[in-house]
Amino acid sequence: MANTELTVTAATAAEVVADEQGGDQPGLRRTGRATLIVRRFARRRSAVAGLVLLGLLVLFAIFGPMIGQWAYDEPDFLALAQAPSAEHWFGTTTGGSDVFALVARGLGRSLLIGILSSLAITLVAAVIGTTVAFFEGVVERIGMWILDMLLVIPSFLLIAMITRSASGKGGWLVLTLALTAFGWVGYARVLRTLTLSLRELDYVHAARYMGVRSFTIIRRHLIPNLGSVLIIQTVLGVVGAVNSETALSFLGLGVKAPDTSLGTILQAGQSVVLTSPWVLLAPSIFLVALTFSMQLIGDGLRDAIDPYSRSGGKA
Amino acid sequence: MARFLLRRVVNYIVMLFLATSFTYFLASFFMDPRSNYLARNPRPPEASINASLTAANINDQTPIFERYWNWLTNIVLHWNWGLSPSQEPVAGAISSRIGASVQLVTLATVLGIVIGVSVGVYTAIRQYKWQDRVLGGVSTFFLVVPTAVLALFVVIGAIYLNQALGFRLFYVTGLHSYDGHNWLLKLSDLGQHLILPTIVLTVITGVTYHLTQRTYLLDTMNADYVRTARAKGLPLNVAIRKHALRTSLIPTTVNVAFSIAGVFTGAVITESVFAINGLGRYFITSIIQNDINASVAIAAFGGACTLVGALAADVAVSWLDPRVRIS
Repeated sequence: MANTELTVTAATAAEVVADEQGGDQPGLRRTGRATLIVRRFARRRSAVAGLVLLGLLVLFAIFGPMIGQWAYDEPDFLALAQAPSAEHWFGTTTGGSDVFALVARGLGRSLLIGILSSLAITLVAAVIGTTVAFFEGVVERIGMWILDMLLVIPSFLLIAMITRSASGKGGWLVLTLALTAFGWVGYARVLRTLTLSLRELDYVHAARYMGVRSFTIIRRHLIPNLGSVLIIQTVLGVVGAVNSETALSFLGLGVKAPDTSLGTILQAGQSVVLTSPWVLLAPSIFLVALTFSMQLIGDGLRDAIDPYSRSGGKA
Repeated sequence: MARFLLRRVVNYIVMLFLATSFTYFLASFFMDPRSNYLARNPRPPEASINASLTAANINDQTPIFERYWNWLTNIVLHWNWGLSPSQEPVAGAISSRIGASVQLVTLATVLGIVIGVSVGVYTAIRQYKWQDRVLGGVSTFFLVVPTAVLALFVVIGAIYLNQALGFRLFYVTGLHSYDGHNWLLKLSDLGQHLILPTIVLTVITGVTYHLTQRTYLLDTMNADYVRTARAKGLPLNVAIRKHALRTSLIPTTVNVAFSIAGVFTGAVITESVFAINGLGRYFITSIIQNDINASVAIAAFGGACTLVGALAADVAVSWLDPRVRIS
């Protein structure tokens, strides 16, 4: 290996692996696509910062409830609406709940809802978008008409109607399903447009005339071809899903007590803005850190994957 | 042109009808007005609960298709959008709130579009220079900040500013508090109420237009016809203004047309933080009160606005884009 003088970062480690697999000629280094993307991603300081920040948030969501002295559903009636102290690190609400425990739990909920619904939305949108484009003709026209019709009513209103009746511990699942049920339509339209050129590829035609089943072609050729778009969409979709979740919970329609999410804590903080601002401050900071880190990662990925990116550096 | 428009309008009306009917069934399935009465203490007798639910055509013991038919015929024949569980007509409640929504959102939408598009053009021309990086970073930040967080921090800032000044410069709730007839005071009163929610909405609208307009202009700036214009000797600025900018404004125009829907229903969070009785807040209240007819009517209104926007987008694109032939 010729690159011992380089410090071993994640990027070069990946490179070494790639070299061992494909470097059959000595002295000729082959850069794989994944290596290239990792290297370009690592070069963007903002993207790496986003990744680190997200890692810290995930760790906090997992281990926060363990290191806190109080549980989120265990109010301390001797400390109502207290400022941050050694006993309650982020202070307490007017009901005596420990804000640290609430935020750790709420961050976990928001992360879970955001990531799950974003994954599900991408999956549904990819399958339906490519299917509509693949079959062309009547199927495509009817499919597009239905997609347009589903976009007529603002989806936020429909989601709010469904989640209204959900409550208790299972409420977050209903919210995730509702976000998915009405969130995929716009993405499906975009993916259908992207598939228009893919369906004209020679090997797709070849597969068709060889009699490969339609859904096998969709699964094996069309969806993998959209891979990079889907990855970016999933990452940035988390931001949208977290924002919707926050908005609904803030309005009292999403995650409700006894469960909690960052939006639910914000709602509690709204009424005590002046008397106990820490109830508002802590969830706000974590919420913005979460969405901002996701956005930085998404932007970094987009530039790393885009072959025409001129954001800096060579290769 | 007229035939094209007519076909589109008919298509949109069919879409709106199906989407609204779908919403009606969805709302009837998920919302339970009976629980309003069951939660009361003392609980009203079964018969009187049924009587008031039937009067509002939201009784879950009536078959759903019968309720749907009643609801539909009332709208088509009498333009009657039904009653709330409290027996109050829905249509009147909605039309009285449209005014507040329009007052709140119009200025912010216009400001957001103008500022956002200008900044987008400014940063696209200076791609990867420090101006672009700084403004891009700021916009990306505000793009991801949840509206509730942004609005609440604006409220906190305004309250501290009021306290520091010693008098009330900004009002953080409602739209009016002055009752007299002096129009100057009335206007300044409206301004004091409107400025904070307008800031919030302008920021939200503006950052989206900034980032999208920047992308659109960058896409067209690298197009062949702009390079041709440069090769013919046009200075960069002229080439951008005359050739790239015009094409890049087409997708922005589509977005502007679609934002008509947002004017009425897009300010749900802002309205609820600043306690403004607009459509968004009414929608939330009606959902919490299990008001099926009201929430369906608002959804239908939102859908109608979307389709008016879509129609406006069709017309604008055919007018702006020489490549689109509609006849």
